[in-house]
This record gives sequence, C-alpha cells and structure tokens, in this order.
Amino acid sequence: MKRLSDRAAFEQYAAEARARWERLWSEDQWVISVGISGCSIAKGALETYRNLSLHLSEGHIPAVLRQVGCGGWCFAEPFVEVKLPGHPPIVYGWMTTDRVPELLDALRRGDLRPDWALGVRAAGAWHGIPPLTEHPFLRRQRRLLLEHAGIIDPESIEDFIAIGGYRAFLKALFEMTPEEVIAEVKASNLRGRGGAGFPTGIKWESGRRTPARPKYVVVNSHEGEPNVFKDRRLLESNPHLVLEGLLIGCYALETPCGYNYIGGEHALALQRFQRAVEQAYELGLLGDDILGSGFSCHVRIRTGGGAYICGEGSALMYAIMGQRGQPRTKPPRSVEEGLWRRPTVLNNTETFASIPAIIQNGGSWYASLGTKESTGTKLVTMQGPVKYLGVAEIEFGLSMRELIFDVFGGLREGYRLKGIQTGGVSAGPLREDELDVPIDFEALTPLGAMVGSGGFVAFDESVCAVDFARYLVAFSRYESCGKCTPCRLGTPALVEILDRIRHGFGRPEDLDIIQYASKHIIELSLCGLGQVAPMPLLGMLERFRDEFIEHITERRCRAGVCPIAAGEPLSVGR
Amino acid sequence: MEERETARREIDLQPLRRILEERYRPRDHQEAQELVVGACQEAQHLYGWVPPQAAQLIAEHLGVTINRVYGLLTFYADFRTEPPGEHFLWLCHGAACYIAGSQKVVDALRTEYRLGEDGTTSDGLLTVHVFDGCLGACDLAPVAQLDHHEYIGQLDANRLRELVEELRACRRVGSNDETIE
Ligand SMILES: Cc1cc2nc3c(=O)[nH]c(=O)nc-3n(C[C@H](O)[C@H](O)[C@H](O)COP(=O)(O)O)c2cc1C
Ligand code: SF4
Ligand code: FES
Repeated sequence: MKRLSDRAAFEQYAAEARARWERLWSEDQWVISVGISGCSIAKGALETYRNLSLHLSEGHIPAVLRQVGCGGWCFAEPFVEVKLPGHPPIVYGWMTTDRVPELLDALRRGDLRPDWALGVRAAGAWHGIPPLTEHPFLRRQRRLLLEHAGIIDPESIEDFIAIGGYRAFLKALFEMTPEEVIAEVKASNLRGRGGAGFPTGIKWESGRRTPARPKYVVVNSHEGEPNVFKDRRLLESNPHLVLEGLLIGCYALETPCGYNYIGGEHALALQRFQRAVEQAYELGLLGDDILGSGFSCHVRIRTGGGAYICGEGSALMYAIMGQRGQPRTKPPRSVEEGLWRRPTVLNNTETFASIPAIIQNGGSWYASLGTKESTGTKLVTMQGPVKYLGVAEIEFGLSMRELIFDVFGGLREGYRLKGIQTGGVSAGPLREDELDVPIDFEALTPLGAMVGSGGFVAFDESVCAVDFARYLVAFSRYESCGKCTPCRLGTPALVEILDRIRHGFGRPEDLDIIQYASKHIIELSLCGLGQVAPMPLLGMLERFRDEFIEHITERRCRAGVCPIAAGEPLSVGR
Repeated sequence: MEERETARREIDLQPLRRILEERYRPRDHQEAQELVVGACQEAQHLYGWVPPQAAQLIAEHLGVTINRVYGLLTFYADFRTEPPGEHFLWLCHGAACYIAGSQKVVDALRTEYRLGEDGTTSDGLLTVHVFDGCLGACDLAPVAQLDHHEYIGQLDANRLRELVEELRACRRVGSNDETIE
C-alpha cells in the first residue's frame, strides 16, 4: 500500500476503491460472503468458510469468497451471503457445514432455497424471497452504525473507503476548524453510550478548554458487563468506523495521542482493530502530517484482563498506565486530569462510531433522529430466551414493548415473559405491565430502570426474583475493587442476606436491613460500581416483593430455583 | 500432577524474549509501564500461565519492578500464576447464561469436581475459569469455551459430566499410546 500524500491522492484512491467495489458486484461471477465474528465463530462459521472454499474449488465454480463481519442476527449464525450473476445478493441463515454442499447444489440447479433465506438485499421480493429489510428483526431498526456491518470486510480499509469511509474525517480535517467540529457534536446532542449518557460535545469542549498538554483521547472498548456484547461486534464488523471517530476526536482536541482500551477477552475485536490501525498507518491516515494537512495522530491499543472495574473512567486510565485499575475520587475530572495527569477525553466505542455520520450530515440532522433529549440511534442487545437474539440498532423512542416483541420477536415458544432487567448490574427491572415506556435516557429513570449501555435481559417465569437479584449483586461484590469500605463490605453483606433468604433462613426484618444497607452503599461508595450495586436488588424487591416474602414466611421458591426448594443446607460461595 | 511440576520447572524463555525484543520496545518509561499488561498476556499465550521466570524477564525488559508485575498479575482475573490443568474451560456466567441455568453448572462443578483455589481439578485434568462477563455467544447459552477455541453450547450439568469423561478418556488413550511405544 502506498502512503497517500494529500487529499487529491486520497480522492483518487477512493475512486479506484469504489470502482473495484462496484465491479465486484457487477461482474459475471459468484460472490460469496461469510460472516466471521465472535458469535458466528462459536457456531461454526470458520468451518463453513473452509467447507465453502473446498466445495467451490472442487466444483470448479468461479467465485470470490469473502469474509465479512456480523450483521447482528446472532440467532441465524452462521450466515452466508450469495450473489449469483444476474441476481441480487441473498442472505442465508443457519449455514452450518452440513448445509454447504446442499446449498451449492441447489444454487447450481437454479433453486434459490427460499426456505433458508433470511432475505434478499433488494428493494422488493425476489423469486419468493422477501427483502432483508422486511425481516421482522430488521423492519423496526434504524441502522447507521451497523449500515455496513456484515457487508464490508472488516479487515479491508479499501472496502471501508469504497463505501464512503474516512470522508467525514477528511471533511473535518480540511474544511472545518476543531471548534466547528465540536459545535456540530454539540448540536447533535449526542450522549455517551457507555452508560451515563453525558453529552459528548460538552465533554469535548471541556477537554479542549483545559490548557495542559499533551491531551489524550481514549476509546472505552472494555465492555466487561455480563449483559452486553455490542461494542465488540462493532469493532469486529466495522473497526475503521470507530477509528475514524477517534481521529475526528483527536482533531477536535488538537492532539496527536489517541488510545483504545479493549477488553483482553475480546480477542477478535482486538485483532481487527489492531489491523485497522496498521492499515491506516500504511495508507497515511495515521502518523505524522496526515495527507499533508499538518495534523499528526498516533493511536495506541491497550488491553486488560478480566476486571469489570477497569471500564470505569479513572480506573481505566490507571489500567492503561500499568497500575491496578482502581477508581479515584473526583474532582479533578478526567478532562482536567486524566491519563498521565493530562486532560483526557474518554468515550465509549459506540459514541465514537456515531461521530462520522454527525460530521458528514450535520449535528441538526442527527438531532432530528430519536427523541428530543435522547437523539440518534442506539445499539441494543437482548439476552434471554427471545426469538431473534442479537445486536440491533434502533432509534431512541421505540417502546420497550416494541423492542422486545417486534425487534427481538418476543419470547420463544414455551416461555412466558416475567420482566426485563435493564442497565445490566446498575439498575432495576421492568415488569411485563410496564413495557410501554419509550427507550430514552430520561423516561426509564423514574421507573428505577436505565438504558445504560443498551444491554437488556428478558427473563421468564423460570427465573426467581430473589436468585436473580443475588446473581446481579454477587457480580458487583465479586468485581468490587476493594478500595472503599461501603462497597467492599456492603456488597458481601447484601449477598449474605440474600443467601439467607434463598436458603430458607430469611427473617422478615431482612427486607428492612436490605433497604438500610443499600442506602449506605449507594451514598457512601467512591465510584459508580458501588453507587449502583444495590439498584438491581432494590428494583427486584419493589417489583417482586411478594416473592421475597414467600421465601421468608412460607419457605417457598415458586420458580423452584433456590436451595430452599431442594431443602439444601446453607452454604456460602459464589 | 507431575506434568504440572514439569511445567513449573521447564520454561523456555527464548520465544518470550524474541517477542519482547520485536514488539515491546518502549520509547520512554511512560510507555514501558503501559506495556506491562500486554507483555504478561504474551507470556500467558505462550505458556498458558505466567511463570515467575517470565514475570522476571518482563520486569527487567521493561525496567519496572517485579512487584509491579505481580501487582497486575494478581489484580486481573484472567492471569494465572500457577500452571493450568491439561485443558482449560471458560465457563460463561454472563446474564444470558445465568438465565439459561449456568448457576447449576457452576454449582455442579464446585461440588462434584472439588476445584482447587485456582479452579483446577485435583487430578490436574481441567482448569475451570468462571467468566463474569459475557462470552458473546449468548444464543448458545449456557456456553463454555474449551481450550480457547471450541464452544460447547446449551450446557447443563449432564453435558458437563460427559465432557469431563470424554477428556478423561482421551487422556487414558494418550497414556496407553506411550506404553505401546
Ligand atoms: C464499574 C463501571 C464500569 C464501566 N464500564 C464501562 C465499559 O465497559 N465501557 C464504557 O464505555 N463505559 C463504562 N463505564 C462508564 C465509564 O466510566 C464512562 O462513563 C464512559 O466510558 C464514558 O463514555 P461515554 O460518555 O461515551 O458514555 C463504566 C462505569 C463504571 C462505574
Ligand atoms: S465503590 Fe467499589 S469498585 Fe468503586 S472504588 Fe469503592 S470498592 Fe472500588
Ligand atoms: S452471557 Fe454467556 S455468552 Fe453472553
């Protein structure tokens, strides 16, 4: 790859990339794309890929075999997209190796196997196959960040540039001042996607205002929560989009120092982002004097190893500095004193990925999406026994009921919805009768629920509210960094009380002790982990109080999950 | 058990040294500190754990104290400072897996296989790590990952028992082969 020296060279490269991209889809050949991502690998996508490669060469089929990222439809993995000459691309789900020869044989006979198709990438139906966008899982989605996920090869910068990538960065670099970039982000009213929903433009502006140098811009791709898997899918499917957002952030802060902190357990995300950075260096979109603009930028990747707390801003910065990732008291805020005690702007992966479209189309365009206070789109994941499990991208304002029953298809047969856990380990659940609330940062708060990072958990009647509360609080206990007492001692106390109840030794006054202890933990803990650790328990207690009381007074667990049901003795453990 | 003792003694530091020299070349002390965790991960990829000799090498190479290295190795859940068993099982205990019953699998493991403090069965066959986050394969919940590549979905206590038996059987076949030779 030749390093591009100026904007004209980039434009020429982009034109060639686009031409090659269009030829790929118009030439008289088969184009077969296989989704290779964390979830599809778990379901055998690599075997599918190898098997396809073997059968294509054995059958002397002139074909281009490509890898792409994840389309979000975990429920249909592994997926294969086939473009035959004269046909639009058709996406097939559940393509395990055993189905590969059958599919290829059928296609050669001219049988498009509509029964295996998820949909066709075309505006209308094609030989009985409906458009992909009409699939129930996709119909209600609004895809900005996932627009090209599952279509481009995430390990190819050329693919990304062919579909318009890095245009926003060039626009910022050559046509806008850093102040103008920040003004657009502010106008968009983009709010942080990592949990708290802090306005991104205001954070960037404070970072810009602090005079000390160097400054740092950091992507938070830690994603250590037990309830969400969106950031890693984004990095696996379109890593350059995140990198482009980071570059724009660095430009806005006028700093050459960008970082991405990626959870060590997300191996493929790490590898693909690493590859993206290497390619950007080779092409001259990273490094010194980018495209002759005078702006330089370097991106470093750092990882941790399985400590949820390292996702907290100040802990993450200590982790990057090679210290134990433990939060510190604020102020000073990170925008004043962060990494290496310099002004640092930290945002979530998804936040950065939202930036290019804002720069490209303008902040007011973005603000027109979603609701008034929660603009734009949000990546959400739904866990539990839902029909269409996966990652979806929705406009804010969709109701929780629509999200569950339309996008994720409701619960699978034989399951009855009991509630939705929101905000992971940081908030409470919603009951079945509370689901008509719109998904937006403000609307969920009065209900003790939260958008958080967008990870929701649907649970059915086989889940016991007491046991689930214990699971969520035990997570916080286990992940507590131990720096401050209310959290270090308070969370185990809550778990102990819950264990007592689960084992049939609960006392009526335990419910008051829970309230009392929770209040202390929430008010006195040093960081976000402790400050919200009791929330899932308080929420469960409020919504499913009769179940708690049943455990205590009748020694009965209606779900049959708790040890009382089996008459097991008290034991402590994880 | 013997294998684990051998693993403890025989560490070839050459591959780690090569990686450190090629890819871990900090420009200043600040960057050196940033690289400690990554270097430890390289060691764990190579050896399956971070042996003391490797920790020492990393400390010397990056110019940090050995205490600093151990401070990090003991902070993060993923690092091992003891050699793992012959096989390594990552058992997901994320929310999707919990809803699908991973707690029962965790309990079965603890009671039936009497795992040691480092999660290793007493015969050294298997090291189990209960993973608090989400493995990212929720559609297969409850899910485990064996030896860093093979996924086992829809896991329950029975399937787990079968798995352990399969691993035991492979081990027996393996040792028979040796006696034939
Ligand atoms: C215990 C804890 C864990 C967190 N984990 C993450 C995480 O994995 N990813 C993330 O983006 N933010 C996480 N956060 C939120 C960050 O502290 C921070 O608010 C966020 O990264 C800022 O980015 P945003 O404004 O784009 O949301 C966590 C917070 C706490 C208290
Ligand atoms: S609240 Fe918990 S996690 Fe946060 S600093 Fe205190 S002990 Fe550590
Ligand atoms: S919670 Fe286990 S794979 Fe997601």
